[in-house]
Amino acid sequence: MSARPTAVPVKVVGGLFVAFLAWLAARPFLGGVGGALVGALGGAAGAWRLPHRVLVRVLWTVPLFFLLIFTAVQLMFHVPGDPFASEKNTSAEVRAEQQKHYGIPEKGFAGGCKFFAAYIEKAVVDGYLGPSIKVQGRSVVDLLLPALPVSLALGLLALTIAVFLGLLLGVVAGLRPSTWVDYVAMAFAVIGISLPSFVIGSLLILGLSLTLGWLPVAGWGTFAHLILPAVALALPYAAYVARLARGGTIEVMSEDYIRTARAKGLSEQGVVLKHALRGAIVPVVSFLGPAAAGILTGSFVVETLFGIPGMGRWFVNGAINRDYYVVLGTVLIECGLVVAFNLLVDFGLAWVDPRLRGKT
Amino acid sequence: MYRTLAGLVVAFAVALALVGLTFSSSAEGRADYVFVNGTEPKTLDPQKMTGQPEGRIADAIFEGLTFRDNETLRPVPGSAVSWETSPDGLRWEFKLRPEAVWSNGERVTAHDFVFAWKRLLAPETASEYAYLLHFVRHAEAFNTFGSQAAALGGPDGAVAKLRALVGATPSGLPVARWQAFVKEVGLTDLLTGVADPVLLPALTRATGTFSAAEASALADALEGERARRAAEHAAAVAHLGVDEGVFAPDPSTFVVELRTYTPYFLELTAFYPTFPVHRATVEARPDDWFQPGRIVTNGPFLLHRWTVNERIRLHKNPRYWGASSVSLETVDALPIENSTVAMNLYLTGSVDWSPAGYPQDLIDVVKRRPDFYGEPGMMVYYYRINCTRKPFDDPRVRIALGLAIDRQVLVEQVMRGGQVPAVTMVAPGIPAYRSPQGTLGFDVPRARALLKEAGFPDGKGFPKVALLHNTSEAHKKVAEWIADQLRRNLGVDARAVNQEWQSYQESVRRLDYDLARAGWIGDYRDPNTFLDMWITGGGNNQTGWGDAGYDRLIRLATKPLAVVEMPAAERDAFLATLKERPEAERLLAAVAAAADPKARLAAVDALRLHLFREAEAILIQDGLPVIPLYFYVVTGLVHPRVEGFHSRVRDVDGSMIPNLQDLHPFRDVRMRGPAGAPK
Amino acid sequence: MSAPGPAPSAAPPAGPPGRSLLSDAMRRMRRNKLAVTGGVVLVLLVIACFALPALLGLDHETTAPKLHNQAPSASAPFGTDNLGRDYLARVLVGGQTSLLVGLIGAVVVVVIGAVYGAVSGYFGGWVDEVMMRVVDFLYGIPYMFLVVLIMLQFDDEDRGSNLPIFVALAAVQWLTMARIVRGQVLTLREREYVLAARVTGASHARILFRHVLPNCMGPIVVYGTLTVPAVILLESFLSYLGLGKSLSWGVLVAEGVQGINPVKMDWWLLAFPSGALALTLLSLNFLGDGLRDALDPRTRR
Repeated sequence: MSARPTAVPVKVVGGLFVAFLAWLAARPFLGGVGGALVGALGGAAGAWRLPHRVLVRVLWTVPLFFLLIFTAVQLMFHVPGDPFASEKNTSAEVRAEQQKHYGIPEKGFAGGCKFFAAYIEKAVVDGYLGPSIKVQGRSVVDLLLPALPVSLALGLLALTIAVFLGLLLGVVAGLRPSTWVDYVAMAFAVIGISLPSFVIGSLLILGLSLTLGWLPVAGWGTFAHLILPAVALALPYAAYVARLARGGTIEVMSEDYIRTARAKGLSEQGVVLKHALRGAIVPVVSFLGPAAAGILTGSFVVETLFGIPGMGRWFVNGAINRDYYVVLGTVLIECGLVVAFNLLVDFGLAWVDPRLRGKT
Repeated sequence: MYRTLAGLVVAFAVALALVGLTFSSSAEGRADYVFVNGTEPKTLDPQKMTGQPEGRIADAIFEGLTFRDNETLRPVPGSAVSWETSPDGLRWEFKLRPEAVWSNGERVTAHDFVFAWKRLLAPETASEYAYLLHFVRHAEAFNTFGSQAAALGGPDGAVAKLRALVGATPSGLPVARWQAFVKEVGLTDLLTGVADPVLLPALTRATGTFSAAEASALADALEGERARRAAEHAAAVAHLGVDEGVFAPDPSTFVVELRTYTPYFLELTAFYPTFPVHRATVEARPDDWFQPGRIVTNGPFLLHRWTVNERIRLHKNPRYWGASSVSLETVDALPIENSTVAMNLYLTGSVDWSPAGYPQDLIDVVKRRPDFYGEPGMMVYYYRINCTRKPFDDPRVRIALGLAIDRQVLVEQVMRGGQVPAVTMVAPGIPAYRSPQGTLGFDVPRARALLKEAGFPDGKGFPKVALLHNTSEAHKKVAEWIADQLRRNLGVDARAVNQEWQSYQESVRRLDYDLARAGWIGDYRDPNTFLDMWITGGGNNQTGWGDAGYDRLIRLATKPLAVVEMPAAERDAFLATLKERPEAERLLAAVAAAADPKARLAAVDALRLHLFREAEAILIQDGLPVIPLYFYVVTGLVHPRVEGFHSRVRDVDGSMIPNLQDLHPFRDVRMRGPAGAPK
Repeated sequence: MSAPGPAPSAAPPAGPPGRSLLSDAMRRMRRNKLAVTGGVVLVLLVIACFALPALLGLDHETTAPKLHNQAPSASAPFGTDNLGRDYLARVLVGGQTSLLVGLIGAVVVVVIGAVYGAVSGYFGGWVDEVMMRVVDFLYGIPYMFLVVLIMLQFDDEDRGSNLPIFVALAAVQWLTMARIVRGQVLTLREREYVLAARVTGASHARILFRHVLPNCMGPIVVYGTLTVPAVILLESFLSYLGLGKSLSWGVLVAEGVQGINPVKMDWWLLAFPSGALALTLLSLNFLGDGLRDALDPRTRR
């Protein structure tokens, strides 16, 4: 792969581009052009050492981001409603003044193009992602940045629970298909799938918080606050993972090489750990890319149910309120996460199945 | 492979440890008083805010000329220590409290109030509540006339366009062309409150043709209106805040001049749009001066922290002039909208007050709790009818729809929370106002007869009716029940249809609906807050309904003396249009007979209220662009340890009346006993 | 691709000659008791939801607010809801929407996702890169606006039908399916039998549909059965936006969960729609496993 003649240009362009991204990202925090330059140089140096594939993927994100922002803007400018709507209708003058203040042109395609151009200009030149219109006096970064660690904490814990629990159930069931172990595990999975997280969450609150008083009902601030929402968020995903892992395991166990391995005298434990797990993981890994992005950004229901100040709220409330700049901020995050996780998934696939290395 | 796996586990652990970073807030512990505040406040800028969640915080951190007393909710001296009124009730002179200071130690002066009130009215502020002060001299001109005059004048202004249109139609201007022009330039919006004898009837005229002379008179009248608005705007800019309207002759005197006697004016001085703001702070960072650390306030509490989607923490303000009577040291406002979450927090003792904080279907059980309160509120729940769509343009159809709904069943069996059936628009509880007789009692035979008269016997041939509501379980429940009522009682094929909030609003605004649910909360205790929205083309009308007689009554009600001063012939013609003429004549005689200024003011106010009553009669007896359903109740759960909460308040005569707007100022709230799950 | 070479030693695992893949699968399917049971239960559910309300004259719309929130009894076997409507009728009629949307929606999603993912993974390289970036793009679009916009494309009459719901569901649900199948195909296309088929000069289409896709049946069927609940629950979100039906299992579950709290326990409001949903999924699950075993050429007993 590295012998390809295109590798060096890719590295140059990609490195420069990563430097540019790093510069953009560093500006709001490092302040001053100097600080941002340091960040950019670091980014470029790091990028040079990145594998060719990663750089290609990063380069891909440029048109992707632009296209996505453009599409999102056009969608926003074609659906009914705007950020200034309120139950009591405001006068034409007030509305015009508000639109002017926030730089919102008229609805429609032309207005959308104007808004897109202004947004990109502000984002690239000033590194400014715009103000929230619904929570006045705060920028999009002010709103999303404090929510990020909250969502990460919740999401990572949930993801961990989902993967470990799901793999455990799935592999155990897959090793003994059509036995009571299998039925119990899969019944659990079916319940997990047919009960949405808000039902699981409500039942958990009812049992563990309101009746037993073990954990707080809602809020944020201690590790105890994290447990119930993470479990509620994780269980449906765990069920998915279990189903996929079971299928993968059954498939692998019927492969010839497993029989060979067994015949060669490899212990049952060894077979399971070395092969079954590996087979179980392939579909799970593919599922995890979208799932991880979804768990980090789409936890609106759980966040609402437990009063958690995470990012999922902004994904839904931003759209409901037509808080234009917030919506675009969430689009950027979602897209970034999807790209990043899919990259990880592709590496994960290669790691699980060595035959894929360098081929994807 | 397993080393990598182990590495991943470690990475997860490290990431989880980072979570600690987000837990900084827990160090503060529980506040003395914690309440559920509904939606996250949009802003804490008093001149820009609307809505209850914002208002609760503003009432705590700012103080207007007056504030509402906990026990009576009537305005008592706040930043103003006393005031005097002129005999005609038009000039108010407030003396500011010398010891009132901002949180940075500076004195609160009359100039701060002038700045804030002018800011509320300045078009650049884009305040949604600016219209509240339009009864102040120069206020409306300052707020809206500038942009209106600009849109009317100039080479592509409305006047020039109308002149061109008149020139192009020498044989007369067809009303259809004129109405198209009105719509194109948004003339109704540009001529708010117009009283011109030529323009006013033209705006609502639907058929015929203006002769060439009439058309040219129309253009002249429009130009005259433009010139009047431009001149009044110039005068307002020159004088408002300087020596007329609102102004400060010296730092401790604040003068307000009203255009017309307004009984609820003093009440508005305790309402957040009129709160003072610290000029230097606002001007330094106009967009985010109200963030913690920056904001300068003058109320009993200080804004300590505002973590979006988590909490607003308030601390007691040691510099507040009345700090000695404030008992709470810390207050937490939780931005929680989900009623189940609110109830769970309340039941576990994490929250002391949870307004409306329980799922609606639990009302049967919740209302039996000792810590529950429920009182009539100043809010009406109703359905708009699209009067521009067939067959709803026929008043008989609208009345039939209104008659076919059994409101008694609605409040007693569907809502079950002590709501009051509504057959009028103005909510009860407004001092001295009596709504006219409603005609919308439950009467299926009459409804069917009316529908038959309109050409739909037994509902045959009646198109499908969509009952539009925004997504919410409560709205859905009412809509499905009404649909069932209309199906059963009228034989009409009615269906509940939901849309998400913004789509719903746009559908209503564009008149793209059959029937649409709505609710209206009164801003102040006066019928005007429920009635002025129904004028032709009013921004919140949104039914396509208009009635010239109604518009005239509403206009006269804002200036009742105009009726007194009318020439006899005109007055007679006007009185002839009224439904209760003898009452109006009696009130007019009372004004004439009033012995002293005070009695005269009271008599004029009685006349004013009667004009509103006549207007409401047109709305709910003849026009019916709406189907009122019920008046809300204000409900909630409040912990027994909370003292000074007052779910009922004392009226002037000492009787107890409902706390209509669910206002419970924190300044007098005290805690008896520790926090914990309520018994 | 059609390089000459020695005949492949590993025969592509299609069905034995003389018997079609399908009839073979059917035969194996019938032997799987659990799968048959699942199928029967599913058919019964469908019949119950679509035929019972009309047969028994059940009315899901007429309100009787006086009899609201009644626990199950002889006259109302599933109890009543908050407007006193017969909950049995509501669960059955709600099932019409959910089953229709869930089953048909899932099939549409599976077909689109599987074919897209298989093509992307099979060709690999820049084709894969482009196709997967399209998927990334679609993941990033704010879904809510897309749904609202789809809704606007239909007039009032059509909005009540199922078509807009299918469009809105299909717009996103196939993405994850495509990624899973693509991941699977990436590992499959290096297998001996695929290489062998290529060497013998089989067309891409033939390799894809005869060799690659049948060997992905496991994950496709498994994820396909998982798509059904996802679609059914997503439908309640659509109805939140004003696009879905006002009555479906997803909507009933979302509303019924409010009946579960320490103040009052209206358990039937949650239990019956959830139970119906779980029963559907359980039978689908067994049916799906049976289907997978039957279709997968490698798992033969």
